[in-house]
Amino acid sequence: MIVWALFTLFVAHVSGLGQSELYGDEFHEELLLKQLPSGHVYAHFQFTTLWENGGDQPNHHCHLFPQSLSEVLHLYNVDEMHLSLTGGLWRHENWGYPIVSAPPGAELWAWFKEGTEDVDKKWTLLSNALSGLFCASLNFINPQQSLNPKYSFAPLGAYDTPSRNRSLLRYSTLPREIVCTENLTPFKKLLPCDSKKGLSSLLSAGYIHNANYHSLGIHVRPQCKDVNCHETVLELRQTVSLVYDLIILGQESRDWSFRKLFGVGLAGSCPLASTSKIYVDCSTNGTSSVYTLTPDPTETINSNRGGYNTVFAVYDIKKTNIINMFSISSTHKGPRVYLLNSPPVLHATRYIVGYGQEHGGIVTKIHNNHWKDLDISLFENIPWFLPIYYHTLKISVNAGKQILKPYAKHYIPGRDRNRPYALELLVTLPPRSITEVYIEFDYSFLKWQEYPPDANHGFYVGAAVITSLLPHTKNYTGIPIDGSTFSSSINASRDTYPVTLHTEILLVTLPTPDFSMPYNVICLACTVVALAFGPLHNHTTKRLQMLDSCEESKGLLASLKLRLKSLLSKSSSEPEKSAPEQKREESKSKEPSQEGDPSCEQKIMKRKKTKGTAAAK
Amino acid sequence: MGVPEAFRSLLIQYGFAFILRIWLYSSEFKATITERVEVSTPINSWKRVTEGVTLYNDGINPYSGDVFHVSPVGLILYSKLIEHVAAYLPVVFIIMDLFTGHLLYLTAVEYMKHLMCRQEEEKKEYSEEVKELMLNEKDVRKQPLYVVAAYLFNPYILFNTVAQTTTVFSNFCLASAFFCMAKGNRSGLCLFLSLATLQSLYPIVLIVPGAICIGYHTLPTNAKSESADHPDLFQKILPRALRSPNSAHWVKSIFATFGVFFTMLISLLFLSCHLSGGWEFLHSVYGFMLLVPDLRPNIGLFWYFFTEMFEHFRLLYLWAFQMNALVLYLLPLALRTRKDPVLLAATLTGITAMFKSYPSLGDVGFYLSLLPLWSHIFPYLQQGFVVLAAFIITSVLGPTVWHLWIYARSANANFYFGVSLAFAIAQIFLLTDVLLSYTKREFILRHGTSNLLNGKHGKLVLA
Repeated sequence: MIVWALFTLFVAHVSGLGQSELYGDEFHEELLLKQLPSGHVYAHFQFTTLWENGGDQPNHHCHLFPQSLSEVLHLYNVDEMHLSLTGGLWRHENWGYPIVSAPPGAELWAWFKEGTEDVDKKWTLLSNALSGLFCASLNFINPQQSLNPKYSFAPLGAYDTPSRNRSLLRYSTLPREIVCTENLTPFKKLLPCDSKKGLSSLLSAGYIHNANYHSLGIHVRPQCKDVNCHETVLELRQTVSLVYDLIILGQESRDWSFRKLFGVGLAGSCPLASTSKIYVDCSTNGTSSVYTLTPDPTETINSNRGGYNTVFAVYDIKKTNIINMFSISSTHKGPRVYLLNSPPVLHATRYIVGYGQEHGGIVTKIHNNHWKDLDISLFENIPWFLPIYYHTLKISVNAGKQILKPYAKHYIPGRDRNRPYALELLVTLPPRSITEVYIEFDYSFLKWQEYPPDANHGFYVGAAVITSLLPHTKNYTGIPIDGSTFSSSINASRDTYPVTLHTEILLVTLPTPDFSMPYNVICLACTVVALAFGPLHNHTTKRLQMLDSCEESKGLLASLKLRLKSLLSKSSSEPEKSAPEQKREESKSKEPSQEGDPSCEQKIMKRKKTKGTAAAK
Repeated sequence: MGVPEAFRSLLIQYGFAFILRIWLYSSEFKATITERVEVSTPINSWKRVTEGVTLYNDGINPYSGDVFHVSPVGLILYSKLIEHVAAYLPVVFIIMDLFTGHLLYLTAVEYMKHLMCRQEEEKKEYSEEVKELMLNEKDVRKQPLYVVAAYLFNPYILFNTVAQTTTVFSNFCLASAFFCMAKGNRSGLCLFLSLATLQSLYPIVLIVPGAICIGYHTLPTNAKSESADHPDLFQKILPRALRSPNSAHWVKSIFATFGVFFTMLISLLFLSCHLSGGWEFLHSVYGFMLLVPDLRPNIGLFWYFFTEMFEHFRLLYLWAFQMNALVLYLLPLALRTRKDPVLLAATLTGITAMFKSYPSLGDVGFYLSLLPLWSHIFPYLQQGFVVLAAFIITSVLGPTVWHLWIYARSANANFYFGVSLAFAIAQIFLLTDVLLSYTKREFILRHGTSNLLNGKHGKLVLA
C-alpha cells in the first residue's frame, strides 16, 4: 500500500515537474482556421518545440526535439534553417498573406554558424541529409544551383552580432519538386507525439493532398529565451498550411467541419504539449456572413494589432473534456454573399512575355495599394539556361509612365551549367502603383542529354521573392519575429510587419533537338568535314597532270595493272629518277610516245585523220 | 585616264554603299537582321557587347558571367564608343565597313601589281599559245573594283553591318592585315593580325602566309652575294625542297615576323589582363571559342554536332574539329601555295570561316569578297553554278526552316541542321574549286591550252 502510494507520488511528481523543467524544452501545438474572403478555408498547423540546451553540445540527449534533426544541425554547423515543401500556389491577391510564405516546390535556405569553413561543402551535405530525412529530392541542390543573396533572407534568429557575414547564407529552390505522402510521413515522425495523439492526428495524407494549396515547413532558429534575451533557445517550428476549396470538397454549402476538412475528429491533445489550442478567425462573422461555431469556444479573444481588429474563437484542447471525438464545425445562415475582393497592400505576379523559342522576357508585376511609398527588395533567381540581359532591365511604373531607378542593385551573372543568374533590387514603390520589372532573356540550346525525359514539358524557373516591411496589418497574419507561437501574434502591434512574398514559378519550353539523331548527326557532320579533307588532301599531295583519257576509260583494274607494270619497268630501267619527275617529263614531251595501247592509238589516229581530211576539204 | 575613272567608280560605289546601309539601318528590317542567328553569334552580337559594357560600367566583372565573350581591349573600345558616340553608332559601323572596302581595294591594287610582275618574270616559261589567257591592263584595272563591289554589295556583309556585329571590326583588322601583307609591311601586318587574333583567335593561322609574304617582299635583289656570306648554314637544316640560295634570308625573315607577331600578341594579352584586372577573360573569350559550351545554332557545323554528341566522346571530337579549323590544312597548304601567300591567306580565312566554332555570315562574306582577286581563274571553275545555287537556296531556306522550328514549331532541329550542312558543303565546293582552278590555270599557262597528250586527248587530273 505504501509502495503504491510512493509510486503514485513519484509519478505525480514527475508529471507535475513537467518536461520543461527536467529537460529544458517545451512543445506547443496550434491550429488556426480561417475563412478566406474568396470562400476558401485556410488551416494552419504549427508545432513549436523550444529547446533550452539546443546547440550547446553535439550528441545532446533529446527529449522533445527530434534527435535526427538536431544531429544534422550540429554536424553541419547550422544556425538557422528554413525548408518548405509546397504544392500549389498561394494567391496573395485573393487570400491575403499566409503565416509562412512558401513558393511552389521545395525551398531551402540556411545560415551557417560564424566561422564555418567550406560553407559550400557543408551546404551540400546539409541538403543531402535533409533529403534523406524528408524523402525529398533536396539532394539535387548543389553549390552550382545555390545562391548567396545580398539583401534578401535576413537572419530571423537572435544573435549576438548585429550584422552577419553574408557568405554564411545559402539559398536554393527546386521548383519542380512534387510534395506528397512520402514527405508528410517523415515530417510527422519528427513530432513528439508523431501522429498518434494531438493536432497532428488530423494530418491524414489523403485529405491534405486534396487541398488547393498545401505546404510543409521546417523552420529552425535560435530564439530569445525571455524578454531580456540574455540567453537563447533553439526553436523548431513545424508548419502545415492548407487551403481548401469547399466547392471542390463536395458540398455546395460554405459550412466546414473537421470531418470535412481532415476526415477525422480530434481525440485529444498531445500529452507532451504544454499548450494545445485551436484558433478560429471569426472577424468576418456577422459582417459578411453569419455563422455559428459548434461547440462553443473556450474563450473569444479580441486581437488589436496595428490598427486592425481580429476576433478569434479559441478552443483550449487541454481544458476541453473530450469524451468521444472532438470536432469544430461552422454552420452558415442566410444567403451567400460574395465579397468584393480587397487585395492586400503588396502583392505580385510574374509571367513570361514573347513568342517563339528564341528571345523572351520575364515580367514581375508588383502592386502597391498603400497610400504611401513602400520599400521592397526583389530577388530574382534565374537558372543558367535562361541567360538574362542585365542591360535590358527596366523598372517602369503604371504602364511606362514613370521609370524607376532602383535604390541598389546586386547582380551576379550566371555561368553555363555552373551558376544561376541572381538579381536583387531595392526599389521604392510609389503610392498606389503597379510596378513592372522587365528583363530579357534568351532561350538556351542544351546538350541532348541535359533534357529531362519529358523534354517538351519544359523547365521550371524558381519564384521571385519580394521582402518588405508593411506599415499595417491588413490581411496580415504573420507571427512577430520575437514570438514563437501563434498566440504571440495576438495584440502584437509593432512599427512594421515583415512580409515575404513568393511569386509564381515559371515554366519555359526550351527548343529541343531531335533525340533520335545522334548517330546520324555525327555521321553527317563528319562527312562534310571529310568532303573538305579529301579534295584539300588531294590538292596538297598530288600534282596536276595530263593523263590519257583512254587510260582512264579502261577501268580501275586495268589501269592499276598498267601503272604497276610501268612502275616495275621504270624502277628496273631508270632507278635514279623519281617517279613524279619522270611523269612530269613525260607529260611535257610533245612527241607521241612509243609505248601505250596500240588499239587506243589507232583510234586517235583515225580521229586525227578524219579531222585532217575535214580541214583539207 | 585610268586613275580618275577608277576613282570616280570607287566614289560612286562608296556613296551608293553608304546610302544602302543608311536605308537598311532606318528600315524595319534592322531588328530582324540583328536577331538572326546566322548574323549574330554569341561571340559577335552587339546585344552581348552592350551587356558587357553595362556590366563593366556598373562595376561587375563582365567575364564572371557567360554572356560576354569579347576581349578586354574590345570591351574598352566599345565602352568608349557607347559612351561618346552612342547616337552615331550606325555611322561608325558604316564608315568602318567602307574603310574595310577601301583597304581591300588597295590590297587588290597591290596584289594585281604583284601578279603582273610575276607574270613578267615567268613569261618565258609560259607556253606560246596562252597570250590571251594572261593578265592584261584591263584586268589590273578592273579586278580591284570588283573586289570593292563584292565587299560593299555583298548581302552577307550588308547584314553584318546592319546587325552591328563586332565582326565589322574583325573584318577591318583582317583587311588591314591583308593590305599590310600585300604591301610587305611587317609591323603593320603583325599589329593588325594580333588585334584580329585577340578578337577571334582563328586569324592566328594567317601569320604563316603573312610571314611568307613578308619574306618575298624583303627578298634581297642581289641574292647571290647574300648567300655567299653564309655558305650552307641553313642548307643542311632545311628539307631539300625548300633549299634555295636565300635560305638564310628566309629563315631570318620568318623568324622576325613570328617574333614580332607573338611579341605583339603577348603584350596585347598582358594589356588585356591589365585592363580587365585578371586572366579571367582567357576562359571567357578563348575558352568559350575552343570548348563550345553555347550550342545556339549558327551556320557552322559545331552546334548540332555537339548537341547530339555522346558525352564521353566530346573532348575527342572537340579536338578533332578545332584542329580541322586551325592547324590541319595549315602546313600542307602553306607548302603547296607558298608561291602565292595572298591566295594561301584567303584560303585559310575561308577554311576558318567554314570550320570555326561560331561562324557568322560576316566571316563568310569577307572571304567571298576576296575571290574577285582571282577573277582570271573563274573560267576554270567547274562547280560555279552549283555553288551559286546552293548559296541562294540555303540563304533563303535557312531563315524559313528556322521560323518553322522555333516559332511555328512544325519543323525540328534537323531541318536547320540540313540547311547549315548544305551551306557548308557549298562553301567547301567553292574553296576546293578555286584552288583546283588556280592550279589548272598555272598548268595551262605552262603547258598550253591543248588537251592533247602524246597526240591523244588527255585529261587534267590530280594524280
